[in-house]
Amino acid sequence: MQVEVSRRKFLQGSVALSIIGGSSVGVTNLLAGHGEHEAKGELTVTTKTGTGEAKEIATLCEMCVNKCAAVARVENGVVTKLNPNPLFPKSKNMLCPRGNAGIQALYDPDRLKFPMIRVGEKGEGKFKRVSWEEAYDAILNGTDKFPGMGKILEEEKDNRSSFLFCAGEGMAEHTFKTFFSAFGSSNWLNHASLCLQTVVSGYGVTLGGYTAADLENAEYIIMAGANRAEAIVTPDTMDGFKRTKGRGAKLICIDPRFTNTAAKADKWLAINPGTDLAFVLALTYVVLTEELYNKKYVAENFNGFDEYKKSVLDNKYTPEWAEKITGIRAKDIYQIARDFMAHAPKAVYYPGRRSTFANNDFQLRRAMAIFQGLSGGIDTKGGLVFGKKLKLGKHEGLEPIYARAEARAVDKTKIPKKGHAGYSDCAVVSGGGSWIAWRNRFLEGRMPYKVRGMFCYKHNPMMNMPNTEKTAQMLKKMELVVTIDTMPSDTVMYADVVLPECTYLERTDPVKTFGGIEPSIAQRNKVVDPMFETKPVMDIMRGLTEKISKPIFEITKKYDEDVQEELANLGDGEDKKTPAQKEEEVYAEFDLTKPFEHSQEEVNEHMVKSVYGEEAVKALKEHGVFYPNMDKFFKQISVNEHQYYPEKEKAYSVNGGKPKTHSQKVECNLPNLAKKGVDPMPIWKDEYNFSVPEGKFRMLTGRHAQFTQSGTSNNAMLRDLIYENYAWINRRVAEEKGIKFGDTLEISSRTGKTIIKAYPTEKVGPQTIFFVHGFGEESEALTWAYKNGGNDNAVIEDVTEPVYGAASMHETNVEIRRV
Amino acid sequence: MARYGMALDYKNCINCKACEVACKEENGVELGAEKHRIWVGANDVKGEWPLLDIASAAFLPSQCQHCEDAPCQEVCPTNATYYDENHVVRVDSDKCILCSYCMNACPYDARYVDDRTMTVDKCTFCSDTRLARGETTTACQATCPTKVRTFGDLDDPNSEISELLRTREHFSLKAHLGTNPKLFYLT
Repeated sequence: MQVEVSRRKFLQGSVALSIIGGSSVGVTNLLAGHGEHEAKGELTVTTKTGTGEAKEIATLCEMCVNKCAAVARVENGVVTKLNPNPLFPKSKNMLCPRGNAGIQALYDPDRLKFPMIRVGEKGEGKFKRVSWEEAYDAILNGTDKFPGMGKILEEEKDNRSSFLFCAGEGMAEHTFKTFFSAFGSSNWLNHASLCLQTVVSGYGVTLGGYTAADLENAEYIIMAGANRAEAIVTPDTMDGFKRTKGRGAKLICIDPRFTNTAAKADKWLAINPGTDLAFVLALTYVVLTEELYNKKYVAENFNGFDEYKKSVLDNKYTPEWAEKITGIRAKDIYQIARDFMAHAPKAVYYPGRRSTFANNDFQLRRAMAIFQGLSGGIDTKGGLVFGKKLKLGKHEGLEPIYARAEARAVDKTKIPKKGHAGYSDCAVVSGGGSWIAWRNRFLEGRMPYKVRGMFCYKHNPMMNMPNTEKTAQMLKKMELVVTIDTMPSDTVMYADVVLPECTYLERTDPVKTFGGIEPSIAQRNKVVDPMFETKPVMDIMRGLTEKISKPIFEITKKYDEDVQEELANLGDGEDKKTPAQKEEEVYAEFDLTKPFEHSQEEVNEHMVKSVYGEEAVKALKEHGVFYPNMDKFFKQISVNEHQYYPEKEKAYSVNGGKPKTHSQKVECNLPNLAKKGVDPMPIWKDEYNFSVPEGKFRMLTGRHAQFTQSGTSNNAMLRDLIYENYAWINRRVAEEKGIKFGDTLEISSRTGKTIIKAYPTEKVGPQTIFFVHGFGEESEALTWAYKNGGNDNAVIEDVTEPVYGAASMHETNVEIRRV
Repeated sequence: MARYGMALDYKNCINCKACEVACKEENGVELGAEKHRIWVGANDVKGEWPLLDIASAAFLPSQCQHCEDAPCQEVCPTNATYYDENHVVRVDSDKCILCSYCMNACPYDARYVDDRTMTVDKCTFCSDTRLARGETTTACQATCPTKVRTFGDLDDPNSEISELLRTREHFSLKAHLGTNPKLFYLT
């Protein structure tokens, strides 16, 4: 990438000068190293905290999705430390390694610093620095390299859906989505179909909500396909591991590989990938045949129990049957089923929060939720809980109706009729859509209309979804790509216009309410002013909409019959208006600038004050956290522990122990699903069996605690902890193949290949290969992440599960070759 | 004046390495994988898949043990390594000549070379940062997700660490060497 300012100047110009000027802080090591700052990977920045004057500002972390509360220490305008904020019940006085390394995200020399527009070929990464005004102008009017929004909307006759909007998870995603709604497109894609779509939906339709688990009080926990020691989720990670190993909670870990969670478990059972459903069905079989389930709870709170029982028994889902499929011994399955029910309702089959692994994932989640229901451990202490959420006031958005805007681009080639999926790609189209299905339809010309432009916020489709090559093709084909990001990611390399967002430490984000057993409201407060010419999304949207709102309304006037009709109707009598007055009135409904009129601080203040008064506003600014009676309830009870709510105030039970479905019952059998071609009850199908052709391996992906996917891949501090990812291959298999630690492997599938080093280990079985996600970026603008390690999505095939079209990450077989 | 020590509820440790990063950021430790004052020891799990030995995969967070009878202090020819008023083993970088005797003498491999100053560096219990500001926790303790660490004054019978050591069984690393570490592993 052509950048206007070298890394050396980055530091001299912005950080170094400002702090070297203020000599009272011990900052001599800010420019550590040997003065070779321009050499790749040589630049090191850690700032020892001082003992002099410092400001402490409460913020929320954005190094992953958890939003843990942090307090930033600021000395002479430099953030020198991020500490945990003990006031937040969700993160309970902790910051993980990534949270601590947030400073490196702020001072990353590779950050996007200025608005840029493309001057080279698409994907080549050649940009020129422009002013914000020029960037907005390029979006509206294009350049000689790419068409502008005006041209596209004109040619597509004001079909607002000719633009795709996509976003990664984050607190400012809401602000970006407000722009999407006001713009009027129907094409929205987010991380859901690459992430937790099936678990949220599976629990949603079965129990009426994506429940949390009370790991602080559970006595028996089955963690299957969830890895809380490495894929950190707060407060589960903190609650889950303090009482394992014979200290009050028994943890059973079910996973094809030996994770850190397995290391912390009381029992680890290796399962064949994609066969968890058979395991749960067998647990259910034991509980039904031995009548271990909570009969009273089932009688009062179940729908379709008899049908489900009949299905499980008739299909003979015995532990012996499951042993052949899962690889888990029948005697272990009997034992777990009996122990679980003996501890109920303080027993949790942990729902997890992860990507879809297998094509049966939706049914797996349903079976897990039903199994939990059989124990009666729902909406109760030590079981699964819905928790409570504190209300916030509203911030008005804008949702004009455009007559010419088409509905979401889906492929309805199959006529929706009984017993068939409604769409060619999946049975149900969710709010977040199916990213892979959408991308592939776009590439294969299966769109009902042309989509030609795309806005991409804090999202890295090049890295985040299977089949990287197809994503590259999609981005090349898209005529106008606008990216809003903090880092020059692989996706940003394909942009036509790059809008640099400031990092989370440089902005106040929408105030947010966090539900749970101990609910609270928290706010990310700006710690330091945005560096360079970066801006928060709110300000970017304000500038952009001021530029485009009127010009594109002119296009609407030209093509939108409803708007034309409205403009022509000037009223009569006293209500009669001049055409100018009428235009002003109609334009007000389409004025895209409206939702962005106020600063984020003002919006937050309004949303909080209207419900909780001035004190809450003040608490959020000063402490980052608020909940009613916080001043009375919050207490430090030891050097490491705090009380957030007294026991009797905790929201263990909010629905009388009942599920939150419409019927207030656990839904075992859903005939509505059958109408869409989805099994109404969880059943096993032969196609789910695990098998790998001779000479191949099943590719597994996952997480670890030191990186958050590709978002943290360039973090110098985290790289100290994990320099690059390694491919786990079974030690005995590696020996047979003559593969040693550190050997370079090529891992390939029908989709593509990646290069990665080998780690022979007994932590995976002979038929599987594993490496963590988020490495192997190709953007040369990322000093540390560039071609560092292997990219799983270059190899994983774009297989989607049938219900929501979510990406099935563990359905790919790969070959390996030493190179 | 205190006698600082640390108790580690090591079974809580999930090897996330938050402590290592917090330490580096707090104390301005040099970047680089080899440069750290604190670490988590982990062994490769024993056994053959799928029958692995969970117990062999324990995580052991570690750092300078701040021994009462520290070999590093004994061997230092320039008195760069010294006990401060709180019995914390410290290094005076002005006196250090990088003879590296201390690095060899330390049974816990707790010392490394800071390439910026070309002197030996190690854990200070945050003496010149957090403690100097009047804070009562170390960076590693404060940030730990599963609250492995309890830092405090061993001479104060009312401190939480004293209470923990009175009530919980614990061991020290390489106790047979007689270095009398002030890090205590709770079982």
